[in-house]
Amino acid sequence: MTAPIVSSTVLVDNVTKSFGEFTAVNRLSLEVRAGRIFGLLGPNGAGKTTTIRMIVNITAPDSGQIKIFGQTITPELQDRIGYLPEERGLYKKMKVGEQLKFFAELKNIKAKEADRRIDQWLAKLNLSEWKMKKSMELSKGMQQKIQFITSVLHEPDLVILDEPFSGLDPVNVKLLKGIVLELKASGKTIIFSTHQMEVAEEICDDICLINRSQKILQGSIREVKRSFGHNSVALRFEGDESVLNDPTLVADIKRSADEIEVLLAKDADAQLLLKRLIDSGAFVGKFEMIEPSLNTIFIAKVTEAV
Amino acid sequence: MTKFLAIVKREYVQRVRTKLFVIMTILGPVLLMVFTVVPTMLMSVKTEDTRLAVIDQTEGAKLFPAVQGTLMKTERPRDKNAKVEIVDAVNDNTQQRMEKAGQNFNGGFVVTYVEGRNRPLEDLKRELNGRIGKGELEGYLIIPPDILLNSNVKPIYYCRNLSDLPSQSQIERALNDAVRKQRLTAAGVSEEALERLSQRVDLEVYPVNEKGEEGARGSGIAGFALPFILAFLIYITVLLYGQVVLGAVVEEKETRIAEILFSSVKSFTLMLGKLIGVSLVALTQLGIWVLAFGALTVVGANALRSSGFDSVGFQIPPTFFIYLFVFFALGYFIYATLYVLVGSMVTTTQEGGQVAMPIIFLLMAGLYMAFPVMRSPNSSFSIWISMVPFFSPIVMLVRIVTQTPPLWQIALSMLICIVSICLLLWLAARVYRVGMLMYGKKATIPEVMRWVRQA
Repeated sequence: MTAPIVSSTVLVDNVTKSFGEFTAVNRLSLEVRAGRIFGLLGPNGAGKTTTIRMIVNITAPDSGQIKIFGQTITPELQDRIGYLPEERGLYKKMKVGEQLKFFAELKNIKAKEADRRIDQWLAKLNLSEWKMKKSMELSKGMQQKIQFITSVLHEPDLVILDEPFSGLDPVNVKLLKGIVLELKASGKTIIFSTHQMEVAEEICDDICLINRSQKILQGSIREVKRSFGHNSVALRFEGDESVLNDPTLVADIKRSADEIEVLLAKDADAQLLLKRLIDSGAFVGKFEMIEPSLNTIFIAKVTEAV
Repeated sequence: MTKFLAIVKREYVQRVRTKLFVIMTILGPVLLMVFTVVPTMLMSVKTEDTRLAVIDQTEGAKLFPAVQGTLMKTERPRDKNAKVEIVDAVNDNTQQRMEKAGQNFNGGFVVTYVEGRNRPLEDLKRELNGRIGKGELEGYLIIPPDILLNSNVKPIYYCRNLSDLPSQSQIERALNDAVRKQRLTAAGVSEEALERLSQRVDLEVYPVNEKGEEGARGSGIAGFALPFILAFLIYITVLLYGQVVLGAVVEEKETRIAEILFSSVKSFTLMLGKLIGVSLVALTQLGIWVLAFGALTVVGANALRSSGFDSVGFQIPPTFFIYLFVFFALGYFIYATLYVLVGSMVTTTQEGGQVAMPIIFLLMAGLYMAFPVMRSPNSSFSIWISMVPFFSPIVMLVRIVTQTPPLWQIALSMLICIVSICLLLWLAARVYRVGMLMYGKKATIPEVMRWVRQA
């Protein structure tokens, strides 16, 4: 069978899924392009996990359709997907090595090949000496790395990671991030679900923001930021802050340790803001037009929708 | 299929390899012995001699020698040749045999005569009560003077321990024998005639089948015991492994692995794999026990035969063992799938344990059904009850052993069982699939109904 040549790895077309009265996903359409990292973003309870479950064929949509690699999902196609769910665990009393082998078997990987890859991955994630230990003896962070291995051990073409970095220390986040980028470089497609915008911003090529079961925006990070406009200012100043309270000028502010990110109100002029600040007698140390951060866009879009 | 086998293998290997499995396999039969045989033995063990004083007020104290003789003779088996005892036992009927076996564990009696004719009874009693109080006596027996003539007169036994019922009944029996013997002798029956006249008769039993043919002389014991052995086997297995099945089904939910697995295998494959895996573990353990038990029986039977004792002829047709196995499997699976169903509904093993309680009641009900069925195996009650899936494995087997029912009835009850198992599995799979991904809360019955419709 020759698979049709498609550039989209996952195509979700007008999909709806409800549980009783509650609509978890409402007429959602999205496209995940091959060889890219796709960020599925949204606040808690937006419908991210339900969407992913439908993609990996754990639940079926009520209406609409989903195509994986251009086909309707089959058990064989399932073997080409690696999934790290947000709700994840390990068999507590099973040894790490055996456990990984079991998960590999469930993806139809031959025993010998599985052994080789398990050693490789354990070494890569600095877990080699834990191979013969029971998983209950591992720290939470180590367990999470083992769970990560289960989702990539069978070298899937599509890797779906649901909050893969939550609860990890920065060193391990960096390690896993590096691996995700390596996977992309080797041609894999990655769906990355999170509500941590900083991480998404760093590694995603494309994003889709969903809130309250509906898609709010989709596109490459470039496009999204451009469409949102260059209307943010990174600001550092000493003096009266009352200027920032003028709603005709400022839509929102976000403070970090030593500077303030100001999201300008619609149609407001950055130059006017600068003038007003100087007029108020403030000493302006930094005034820079910046792209809005994904976090800013996220908060703006999510609160706007309320 | 490879995935299914992988699940079965994991389930099996992970469980068989545990220390608990090894320990249980070795300790299981020992514990069984401890909980069944030892209490019965303890019941009959008396650790010290019963010191008994007898005041025989009959003329010439005619009863005392017989009472003393009976009590002190039978209670001293250690002095006797043990082998003679066994041969004796085989010839007796079962009840007597059991009594005799029991007596081996009894302490003996030390029976002393107290001369009571020259002193007032009150005086004597005061003295004997004192001796009981000081711990010199366990009790004393007062035989009234006119006991041989008047049946309304009752002998009286004063004792320290009212609860030592076995000793009391032995004293009663000894006294009864003595009284009867005296009365008969008084009526002119000679000792020798007495022996001859009081010999028992035993019933010989032959079965007649539906074609009107007589069978070999049989022992009802086998027919009586085997269904109960089966019922007991099912009971023990379900008791031991029902919880394990439940735990296995809940495991992925508790450890939150379900979602990872469901992206690789169908929920039904996973569920069935777990059921089969655990069942194979159960089969392994039972197999070891049965083999060990079988080996012991063969060794034991050989030992008995070499000591000149022909084992009791069990007349069991070989087809019966096939039925035994089939109905065991059906019985086990029908209850195991119930546990699977419970497991698919709950989120933790503890919770499951509570919800699963009624299953045990159902199982015990099946056991009780076996009694009326055994007495009238072809009544319409028996026929109907042997078609009810949760009872049929035990009840049908009882019917097969007692009066083999028509083949179509056996086949029908098997079919009903198999269909029920499939139905239960189907139902469990639907609940399992939805319930698996619901973390943290127990499903209500209406919710479960909705899952079944939804899935």
